Amino acid sequence: MSANWFSAPAPVARRVRAYFAPVNRTAQIPVIFDPSQQGRFADDAPPAPWIDLGWIQNFERKPTSKSAAVLTGIPAAPQEQVRETLQAQVSFQFLSWTKLTMALATGSQHMNLLLAASGAAAATDGAQAASAVTPQSGSTATSILLATSDAANFAAGSMIAVDADYAGQTGFVGVPVSGAYVRQALTDVDYIRRVTFNVALVSQVTPTGLTLCEPLPGGAPAVGAKVQALTGFVDREGGSFYQEWSALFVLEGSQGERIFFHYPRLQATSGAEETMIPLNGKSQSGQTRVVLKGQFTALPVTDPLDGERVVCYRSFLPAANALV
Amino acid sequence: MQNAKDSFYMALRTRLSVLNPERTIMLRGSVRPGILVEEAEAPFSQLPNDVFVLRWQGLGVDMNLGSTMAADECEIVYQTCGTQSFGGLDRGRALSEMDEELTKMLTPFFTPKFNYTATPPAQMLTHVFWDEPGFTSAVVQRDRLGRSAKVMVYSYQEQGE
Repeated sequence: MSANWFSAPAPVARRVRAYFAPVNRTAQIPVIFDPSQQGRFADDAPPAPWIDLGWIQNFERKPTSKSAAVLTGIPAAPQEQVRETLQAQVSFQFLSWTKLTMALATGSQHMNLLLAASGAAAATDGAQAASAVTPQSGSTATSILLATSDAANFAAGSMIAVDADYAGQTGFVGVPVSGAYVRQALTDVDYIRRVTFNVALVSQVTPTGLTLCEPLPGGAPAVGAKVQALTGFVDREGGSFYQEWSALFVLEGSQGERIFFHYPRLQATSGAEETMIPLNGKSQSGQTRVVLKGQFTALPVTDPLDGERVVCYRSFLPAANALV
Repeated sequence: MQNAKDSFYMALRTRLSVLNPERTIMLRGSVRPGILVEEAEAPFSQLPNDVFVLRWQGLGVDMNLGSTMAADECEIVYQTCGTQSFGGLDRGRALSEMDEELTKMLTPFFTPKFNYTATPPAQMLTHVFWDEPGFTSAVVQRDRLGRSAKVMVYSYQEQGE
């Protein structure tokens, strides 16, 4: 008779994968993750709207909530415990530099360096930008249709930002991710495209438009959106805006078991910080990898199941046939 | 990984032909810059003098990145007997000359990655890059003076590799 179960030891995992999803800042709605329905997704294909940020390293999570005993009697003895503070912190290092990882690892706005207009005066966040162009109807998340004269302003390998003109509004701006909070009206018509996360790399330029290497995070350009070329990114130490994202960290065990840490609301705690790691441990003076260090504070949500306030959900999907 | 190894060799070979066009070797009926890849030639009973011999050794991969990074360890071996006109008494100077050439050949520490199986060779999307060389002590074998340098060569695996 063959056994149909085994006693599983503690999971053995080699690395941690990170997924992030934008919190709706205006409505204050985080993204939920349902391990009962979504727990077996493929590493490279997380359920929408989660965005795969690849493997991370030095993942560390620290509960910093404090409990205190309620003492009664003589001599006083703990009668029960109460939770005085609810807090948790998460830190790790990203293994890539992208728009999203840079933004997550900085404490404030993360901006796109828009292609400067000819002869524009120098500016630390990027000079006055070259004029934006309007995508034509029929554009999709991977294909931006343009007039031939507009398409000629772009080249394969260039990067673009797609979002609306800034029209003097205040509050959170940027689609689909709030890239900044505008406290008082600004004058830069390109401001939303400076802070938008709706960016992509151009793979091909034709007389009718641009083909993108990957879909725009915001999907097909919305009505009123415009396209501008960008040359890179910039962020600042300081400011008053905090990035806030929902985060999901996944450890896959050697037997197929999975551990999930779901933080509905994470805000960057510290400013931009990098760590230098030598590629060759024997040669400390050789090539070094520059990794982005992210440090976050978990903020609470109210669980609709029972009204409890929590900062993190830890889920475990055991290996097949493992005793529970 | 082969594209990275080929690109590293071709970069050094191109740089050597500029640095010292007179350092050549007659190999398989043709005169070439004085640098070769040991594993791509017939086995040598004794390594040739006054040329750089690339010997690929260790290999490591980092699969945690968006693109897998390969680290190929390359030993570059070279030796000289000096010149006949000085009766070999200039072998120390000749070795120093090769030391300097190798140091210059390795600078800058990167080169574009090419696929040399295509005709003409096709430039790929990433660069091959490497560390500073680690030189060994000089080794004396009778009238021959030699040395080797180890270089860790890094590259990212691209789609289709």
